[in-house]
Amino acid sequence: MFGYDREALQGELATIIQNNITTDAWAWLSQQGDITNTASFNATFAMMPRKTGKGLIHIAPEQAEQLNTIRPGFTIEGWTADRLGRVYLMLQADAIDQERYFAVIENLFLAAEMNELVALYSALPILAYPELWVKRCAEGIRSNIGSVLEAIMYYNPYPAEYLPEAAWNQLVMKAIFTDKQLDLITGLNERNNPELARILMDFARERGAAGRSVVPELWHLASPFTDAGIVNAVKQQYSTINTIN
Amino acid sequence: MCCSHSFEDKPLPGQKPEAFDISAVKGMKFFDPHVHMTSRTTDDYQAMADAGVVALIEPAFWLGQPRTGIDSFRDYYSSLVGWERFRSSQFGIKHYCTIGLNSREANNEALAEQVMEILPLFVYKDGVVGVGEIGFDDQTAAEEKYYRLQLDLAKEAGLPVQVHTPHRDKKHGTQRSMDIALEHGLDPYTVIIDHNNEETVKEVLDRGFWAAFTIYPFTKMGNQRMVEVVKQYGSERIMINSAADWGISDPLAVPKTAALMKLNGISAEDIELVTYRNAITAFAQSGQIDEADFGVNIDQSAKFEGNSILRGGQQPRVDKSSIIIS
Repeated sequence: MFGYDREALQGELATIIQNNITTDAWAWLSQQGDITNTASFNATFAMMPRKTGKGLIHIAPEQAEQLNTIRPGFTIEGWTADRLGRVYLMLQADAIDQERYFAVIENLFLAAEMNELVALYSALPILAYPELWVKRCAEGIRSNIGSVLEAIMYYNPYPAEYLPEAAWNQLVMKAIFTDKQLDLITGLNERNNPELARILMDFARERGAAGRSVVPELWHLASPFTDAGIVNAVKQQYSTINTIN
Repeated sequence: MCCSHSFEDKPLPGQKPEAFDISAVKGMKFFDPHVHMTSRTTDDYQAMADAGVVALIEPAFWLGQPRTGIDSFRDYYSSLVGWERFRSSQFGIKHYCTIGLNSREANNEALAEQVMEILPLFVYKDGVVGVGEIGFDDQTAAEEKYYRLQLDLAKEAGLPVQVHTPHRDKKHGTQRSMDIALEHGLDPYTVIIDHNNEETVKEVLDRGFWAAFTIYPFTKMGNQRMVEVVKQYGSERIMINSAADWGISDPLAVPKTAALMKLNGISAEDIELVTYRNAITAFAQSGQIDEADFGVNIDQSAKFEGNSILRGGQQPRVDKSSIIIS
């Protein structure tokens, strides 16, 4: 159902959260997560910042390492308390009733504001039934909100593990279009593929024609699947046209 | 909002409008506690930021035609806490909202029931500073029912209430709105009565409520009248908004009115209260307003550790006088 040791992750996160929020807030949060009471679960999710605050989480290096051992690629570094609280809430939710679990969490996505979306997409690698969230993840990549995109793209192992190739390629292209840091995308090199290389080369030609620049990582991604001569030819074309910028 | 006027039967203003001289209020900060940015273009955000608007509240209201299903409400509320907040942030304007079922749509009871079910999901969200705008339009029994239910919701959530007062039979509707709020045990200091005029202001203030004024062409206050109101009633518990929406309206109404007040000799302190401070005091009772979040200066060409703040392929601000579009 989870694909990792859920109890171990719960325990580790509980310790970290207790170190980062007030005793009262923890007393409250530790009692939440009853997914059979939808209204209450929704309200808990929405009001999280009021209880936990929005301070940055402090986490010891060994705790970070522990999280990465339990769920490879999963990190909470740089997260705020409310983001972690929301992810923890979802981790607490009983996943036995698959239909209810999916409906309740999907409904949170449908009504979410930006910070909530960040938390929800951050939770993808630890949600139950990972294959159920593929369409949701692909939908998130269509967002125009930078922080939401970053929650999906940066240090998030889910997309590389579960997205089909077309959706993965969209993620990479969207990252380029929105000036994201490609080196923070988990699995960038592992999921590199010939179709992506073709899209990237077409994109490079288009940019060249418009007298616009491309990020240098583009050549790095396209090279393994593209004839060196073609890459050089496009680079050449690009450098001759690109005198406007 | 605002918009029950008909475009056909109202004359357009005859004389040429006076140019707005921003220099009169240069360096001042403004808070527009009622503006429907969903209906406005991004250019308006830019103009508002340039004129000194550092924060605003977008109340939930009517899109110009009735919604026919619950999903439309959900999407609309989501846009108020999502896309609009983000769009606003791109110009350094802090965007808050109030969430509610508007009076007009309270008359579709079957749908109103469903809306009441999803409201708790939204009123507890971060940055929701009140339940609003709610109140009366036609003053029907259904409107009263959902007004009352939402007053209870506001009380339970510990949020201020933003009350829309009706265009027709305004004075009576305003009195009735206040009577009902008190009946439900709300402290008048947590209730902002909006769209006041010379006829309603005295009673609203006397009874301890906040009196908001909407500077909106044709149907509501003009800002020359507003100057007179402030001269007569002072600045305590009075606030000014634009209620700009899809009608012919002006998102710069707050800074423009501030400029006019300055030119008419109203003190800087009073101007600051009615165009900035009072709205914050009233809505900060939600616990959701932090002035440290206001007016974060954004240089859209700047990068932070190689990251641009520009999102979604957005281009940095450019000199619009150039004929070249690159």
